[in-house]
Amino acid sequence: MNTTATPNETSRFRSKGAWLARFGAFLLGILLLLSLIPAPAWALDTAKCTARPNGSTGSEVYGGSETRVTWEGLAGADEAITGLALTFPEGTTFSLDDARITLLTPDQSQRLGFIDADYTEDGETFIATFDEAAEPGGYFRVEIYGVYFPIGGGEMAINGSYTLADGSTVAVEDITPITVTGVSLVGQITSFLADQEWVQAWNSNRFLRMFFNPIIIVDSFPVVFQGFLMAVAIVAIAFPVAIPIGLCLSLMRMAKLRILRGIASLYVNVVRGTPLFLQIYIAFFGLPLAGLDIDKFPLGVIVLSMNSAAYLCEIFRAGIQSIPKGQNEAARSLGMNSAQTMIFVIIPQTIRRVIPTMTSEFILLYKDTSMLAAVGVMEVVMYAKTIVASTGSITPYIVAACFYLVITIPLAKIVGRLETRLAGEGRRRKHPPASGGKGVQGTDSAGVTAFVTDALTSQPVIKNTIDDDPVVAR
Amino acid sequence: MKMKKWGVVAVAVAMVATLGLFGCGGGNDAKSDSGKTDAAQPEATEPTYIKEGTLTVLSSPDYPPFENLENGEIVGYEVDLFQAIANEMGLNLEIVPLQFDGIIPAIQAGGQGDVGVSGFSVDPERAQQIDFTESFYIDDQAVAVMNDSPITEENAAEELNQAGVIIAVQSGTTGEAYVQENFPNATVQPYGNGTDCFAAMQSGQANAVCTNLAVVKRMLADAYPDAHMVLQIATGEEYAAVVSKDNPALKEQLDAAIKKLDEDGTIAQLQDKWF
Repeated sequence: MNTTATPNETSRFRSKGAWLARFGAFLLGILLLLSLIPAPAWALDTAKCTARPNGSTGSEVYGGSETRVTWEGLAGADEAITGLALTFPEGTTFSLDDARITLLTPDQSQRLGFIDADYTEDGETFIATFDEAAEPGGYFRVEIYGVYFPIGGGEMAINGSYTLADGSTVAVEDITPITVTGVSLVGQITSFLADQEWVQAWNSNRFLRMFFNPIIIVDSFPVVFQGFLMAVAIVAIAFPVAIPIGLCLSLMRMAKLRILRGIASLYVNVVRGTPLFLQIYIAFFGLPLAGLDIDKFPLGVIVLSMNSAAYLCEIFRAGIQSIPKGQNEAARSLGMNSAQTMIFVIIPQTIRRVIPTMTSEFILLYKDTSMLAAVGVMEVVMYAKTIVASTGSITPYIVAACFYLVITIPLAKIVGRLETRLAGEGRRRKHPPASGGKGVQGTDSAGVTAFVTDALTSQPVIKNTIDDDPVVAR
Repeated sequence: MKMKKWGVVAVAVAMVATLGLFGCGGGNDAKSDSGKTDAAQPEATEPTYIKEGTLTVLSSPDYPPFENLENGEIVGYEVDLFQAIANEMGLNLEIVPLQFDGIIPAIQAGGQGDVGVSGFSVDPERAQQIDFTESFYIDDQAVAVMNDSPITEENAAEELNQAGVIIAVQSGTTGEAYVQENFPNATVQPYGNGTDCFAAMQSGQANAVCTNLAVVKRMLADAYPDAHMVLQIATGEEYAAVVSKDNPALKEQLDAAIKKLDEDGTIAQLQDKWF
């Protein structure tokens, strides 16, 4: 439409628009009517149909494992229902024991009562025959226990029908199929194990069943493994973060400035003097209240690294202070300033000396990730706990213990190696190396002779022999 | 290399030692176990107790008004009820606190308590591991959110089933199972006890809490005035105590006591007092 349109033309267009609008409304009305027609005047409308998750965690419903099916529907205002039937897909089995029908208010908030009924089965069909016709317009909940869906899984279409007081049978509309996950490899192994005689014999012993139930070991392994990855991720970030913080703190503790010393020792004393568990609670429930909203994972990493930094601070301080004074004096006399002395002489020697203790601290930190379970971080213990809660067996805790041991035992072994090497190296190097590269030695307060080299260049930095070492001389 | 060999030997020794330790534990356990059943079998009608003359109850005291700590003492509906039951049976009552998800394993393993009382809903899956007594309360599930939450009573059923919504539940409860079944898109965040769930919601770690109705009501009334209930689902869970399957005589006696207290109106009276 252009702007030069005559008034006449404009009105014509306008009336055309109005006609179109009217036509549209008419079409919409018809559509609305059509959409209403298929809904019969009465129907037990399905509100929901679900199965209880039966995996170790999560919302999946697995085939071949026990579950409970809940179907809910609202009866029409004039429907006095006397019976109900639900047909499951072929291959499904269920139990009539414990089945229950509850009559609720339509918003499900109030229970009007339980319906007394006879439960029977016909193949895959669950049939409930009410002792007397229910009040019309009720909201029904049917709970069927001991349901085993086929092992293959898939979309489980459930059909239903209900009987009215006048004897007529009406089909239940709109039951959403239940998505059942096929039995996983783990599920296949566990059901295979459950059938084995040796497993049954093994489990007949109460102790073995509680602690080493093979079925639950297999079942919980992949679940707890997820927690293992989480724990490793937490510690793999938290520990490297803690190292520079700890080093800074240790330098602060040895600083000349009283205020720096004060801050660092206050921090170290508070953190080391309170339980980590408490620190986690304060951080997770306290910080968000103070307006700091941090996600669980980063928050867990922060708390653990802050905690570990305090311990590392003391480890580094002890390491630095264990380097004989003579090293410092010698470096300074060579013209190095204090920063250079620290960076090129003291710290390189410290690192080697503190590695075993640091590894022990790493082991402690890794074990401490378990405390995050209390605040809902999904790590090893948390996953194990959820399985213990649903199975009542202690076995998942044993599986969890194994996930800690696979890290801690090799590391503990490495610590042992490092310690021997540190001690052994000193002993070996006491005899001058055969080749020309003349070694430079220093002896620390523990009497361990260490090789003094610049960690970066491998060049000897200081020359002093065991005879004129001030520590030994003292 | 010599060192390597020593390492292998050390690991082997450590493993044998660990196995030995576990083995010892096993031996003891099995022995005490068989001792117990031997003692029970000749007179199966006699219940066995951890402590003679005392009914030892395992409970997680974080579940008001069923059981919680008040001024250092465990009080609540189930506490009063089991005091009455113990009186009925001519026993002393001792309550041992234990985290909720540890109670059924503890009852099953034996040695820590005679009966678990901590708002347990009767559930056929649980019934495979332990025996339930007669039920003494019927409760429903409820969902609570903070007042500033976008989740309201009108949209709760849809809004709760969204990806990104975190619902705090008590680990191992029927509330956890309810959320997993009915809000599969939401993230279920289990906590060790009920008070932590509410603390987590208040601090923004979770968007909502799903637990038993009576607990939600009490928590909102006592400690969380800035939260409210958005969904109430009449799941009709029957509360009962849990007893080891090895102790059927105790279950019978408890059932008899519960029935008696139900008939003489004590249970109704206690429910009036606490709910």
